Amino acid sequence: MQIDDRQLSELIEESQDLHVDAMKGIAETIPMLEGIREERRREEVDVDEVAQFNARRRRALQAMGLTGAGLAARSVVYGSLGSLFTGLIASPASADKNLDIQILQTASSLERLAVNTYNAAATQNIGGIASVRGTAGTVIKQFVETTMMQHDEHRKGFQAQTTALGGRSQDQPNRKFQDVVNKAVPTLKAPVDVVNFAGTLEKVATDTYLVNLAMFEDTKSKEIMASVMGVEAQHLASLRAVSALLTAGAPELIKIPIGADLADLPAAAGSVGFPAAFEQVMEPDLIAQPDTGDVR
Amino acid sequence: MNETPTTSGFSRRRFFSASGVAAGLVVLAACGDDDDDGDEEGQAGGGSQQDQGQNRDLAVAELAAGLEVLAVNTYQAALDAATSNKLGRVPPAVATYVQTALAHHKEHLAAWNGILRSAGRAEVSTPNAQLKPTVDSMFAQVKDVAGAANLALTLEDIASQTYLKAIPTLTSKDAIRKAGEIQVVDQQHIAILRYALGMYPVPEVFQKTDKAVS
Repeated sequence: MQIDDRQLSELIEESQDLHVDAMKGIAETIPMLEGIREERRREEVDVDEVAQFNARRRRALQAMGLTGAGLAARSVVYGSLGSLFTGLIASPASADKNLDIQILQTASSLERLAVNTYNAAATQNIGGIASVRGTAGTVIKQFVETTMMQHDEHRKGFQAQTTALGGRSQDQPNRKFQDVVNKAVPTLKAPVDVVNFAGTLEKVATDTYLVNLAMFEDTKSKEIMASVMGVEAQHLASLRAVSALLTAGAPELIKIPIGADLADLPAAAGSVGFPAAFEQVMEPDLIAQPDTGDVR
Repeated sequence: MNETPTTSGFSRRRFFSASGVAAGLVVLAACGDDDDDGDEEGQAGGGSQQDQGQNRDLAVAELAAGLEVLAVNTYQAALDAATSNKLGRVPPAVATYVQTALAHHKEHLAAWNGILRSAGRAEVSTPNAQLKPTVDSMFAQVKDVAGAANLALTLEDIASQTYLKAIPTLTSKDAIRKAGEIQVVDQQHIAILRYALGMYPVPEVFQKTDKAVS
């Protein structure tokens, strides 16, 4: 059975059309946000705003048990969680540190890192990922190209939102996970290693955005991040399925459309993409805290 | 580095899935307001905006629970039909998918009902009334695995997009987190369903909300 390249191309084209529609939606919000930016640009230090932020932060910390004895007890339970992330939200806001902007800059940095890493994997044939033959090779190539394009659009979306809120656009890769990539790349010896590592980066993005949703003040930023999160989650599920098929020695079942070979998929293919009923966030290792990708 | 869950992740999740999130809805809706009206410490039984926020969150919980009931009932009906050989030969991966997705939606339903119960609201045990007639009609036409998978895809799309649309409206941080955790998993159901149906698993650059219900 052969890959239906025409149908796949049509699907990609359809995806790109959907993307154009989605970007229009974001573009429509930019003028409103630019208005907010203009209002904020002239504000050197809004003491009231900082005080209100700190009041909200204090209430949130109380609710999370992150003050006084609660903070001490939670540190015992979560160990290093009490370092970067907790340190950030436990610190009073200053006029030059807007958490929403930090979060958006860090999201941009994750997307930049994803684009760079997918591109390097493909162009440098890391782990032999570009040498996979047959239908699996075709699907993997299309997946890498499409996913790289999607991440690049996510980057643009987050950057536009950052500037709309008055922040500086981030175009550098995430500092924390660039280091992880640098250390991991020499260890990626086979295509399945690359697929698994790409899955790790997708999980970092998915879970970072999930954690961020509860920290945003700005509603439009929350909408955009939740929308992107849903797409990263699908990248992750797809990579888990591809990894399982490569590991099972069944690369011939990596094909679109799968067609009658659906009957030959191992039973585990029906569950490997989603290991739990609720997304399980693994803090702090697989989270890009807001200060790991902000503009400095 | 890998994405193997920590052992604490599951127990923490289960803890939050019932009393934790429910308490969070009540407490955070009361003290986590965004209106900045000077009530710094957040008093239970406070202003009307706080009550509105809590009521809005609970309305979302009721809506979500109704969608989860619909999903549970539909997946169960598909499983029953498959077991009684009404769908033809069922591939092993599809059988596993249906059982897994059914279990997930039961857990989602339990989570939202736990929130409602702890807030003094009635649990939801009936499917979303807006969608049920359409889903019943669609299910009556299901004759094979592909038909069942397409119906499941429709339900997952509606659920996931509804969560996406609801998240920016929620006031409780725990409710936002719970809705996000479910949105992620529903999106992953969709990716695998699309692959099984012969389609590209990640068709959109940005997830849309045109199929969301409210």
